[in-house]
Amino acid sequence: MTWVWFHRLGSPPYIYRLAGRLTPWFGWIAAVLLLGALFDGLVIAPPDYQQGDGFRIIYVHVPTAVLSLTIYTSMAVAAAVGLIWRIKVAHAAAAACAPVGASFAAVALATGMLWGKPMWGTYWVWDPRLTSELLTFFLYLGYMGLRASFDDLQRADRASAVLAIVGVVNVPIVKYSVVWWNSLHQGSSLSLTGKDTIATPMLVPLLVSMLGFTLFFAAIVLVRLRAEVLRRERAASWIGEAIAT
Amino acid sequence: MPHSLTPPLTAARLVIARDLTLAFRRPEQLLQPLAFFVMVTMLFPLSVSPELSQLRAIAPGVLWVAALLAALLALDFLFRDDAQDGTLEQYALSGQSLTWLLLGKTAAHWLLTGVPLSLMAPLMGYTLGVPPAASAGIMLTVALGSLALSFIGSIGAALTLGVRRGGVLLSILILPLAVPILIFGSRATELAIHGEAYVAPMELLGAIVVLSFTLAPLAAAAAVRISLE
Amino acid sequence: MSHFFAMGGYARYLWPSYGVTLLAVILNIIWARGLLRRAKTDARRRLAMQSEAR
Repeated sequence: MTWVWFHRLGSPPYIYRLAGRLTPWFGWIAAVLLLGALFDGLVIAPPDYQQGDGFRIIYVHVPTAVLSLTIYTSMAVAAAVGLIWRIKVAHAAAAACAPVGASFAAVALATGMLWGKPMWGTYWVWDPRLTSELLTFFLYLGYMGLRASFDDLQRADRASAVLAIVGVVNVPIVKYSVVWWNSLHQGSSLSLTGKDTIATPMLVPLLVSMLGFTLFFAAIVLVRLRAEVLRRERAASWIGEAIAT
Repeated sequence: MPHSLTPPLTAARLVIARDLTLAFRRPEQLLQPLAFFVMVTMLFPLSVSPELSQLRAIAPGVLWVAALLAALLALDFLFRDDAQDGTLEQYALSGQSLTWLLLGKTAAHWLLTGVPLSLMAPLMGYTLGVPPAASAGIMLTVALGSLALSFIGSIGAALTLGVRRGGVLLSILILPLAVPILIFGSRATELAIHGEAYVAPMELLGAIVVLSFTLAPLAAAAAVRISLE
Repeated sequence: MSHFFAMGGYARYLWPSYGVTLLAVILNIIWARGLLRRAKTDARRRLAMQSEAR
């Protein structure tokens, strides 16, 4: 039963239409959630007793940082599916994820720096989170750079798939080594998310924001996926009526 | 008479022997990464301070950064010649396990670049104020780390095979993946320099080595096949 | 109201953070939709050329 569903997802016309139908849903729900989180996080949630109102950066920093990693993993999974089962749609999905993930990593870095300055007095600290986020950003750049260096789309798909898989295996190793490195040098109380457990009224906007950004990512990827599918299906017969709608 | 395939380990050994023989016919290629290593190391006293006490403090980092950069430079040589003259294609078509053949090539590459680097490192360390007693430790740590680097680097080299001026892209691809090697390796070297036990980071480095020489040739073989299509 | 914008003194960091995020959101939307639009235009042009060739 599941194989039917799997193969249907691999069919370009099917995924093109499905993505087209899902995008507005994901997009609008994301918008509602993000606006709600914005209001809740900026207005309703009480200020932190230590960081005052500055902690509210958490509502954009944490979701983008977490997503930058989950997107990389999804990208690698999609690439692996494409490589192993030779499904073009999977490669298209991986390609669609990368720029979005990279932009989230960039935002996580920028907001992390802006959070660090009032808290630790400096825009940049070599703490494990910021450092590994920077490395994640470079992993994305490498992936996109490798893709761009091939003229042949099929080769670009497959080479970047290998890179994504190797990268995803490395992500936990890199994280571990960076945490290890940082713990060697004292003063590593410099982690951006405090050790104190977060109170519920402050947690709710974070979760809503997380969900909102996730759906936003999904909506953007679906749009990009449709574009990628069109690029890959140059001469296919279904395109004519699909783009007429 | 059915032709039986050479066992993969023998094939790997033959590849190592071939690569070593070919390399010794052109010793300049062996010396370039070493020269680069020496020069990069030299840049630090020139740009930081000639004070040995200050240099000693940053010596592990300097040695590792220089070794990493030299290894990246040397990775260019891993597949280039064989890709150009069609040998790599023959390897892929030969019916032999490409994974094992590439394992052999990468091992040879380490013998030709990583090992000389690890022998050179204590000398450069001495110029940075590191006591000679630390030489053995430095050699061991750099040798192990460069082994992991050769294997991880082989994936990047295979991926960027067909790419024009792929050298910079190769560096961008490899550097994030090389960070754990750098972290554990320089920590091990630092401990060795201070005469302390460096077993713990060496074990972590060793784990990476084992992981990379078992998995990297697989990924590199897949990448080579993709590049050769 | 100005108390809200002051954000307890953290305004200099908080608002640019949200600003950067908003910028990223907007750019993502514009870029993705632009890609799709161009892909559709290219596809239409190709189909037109194909049917002319026949």
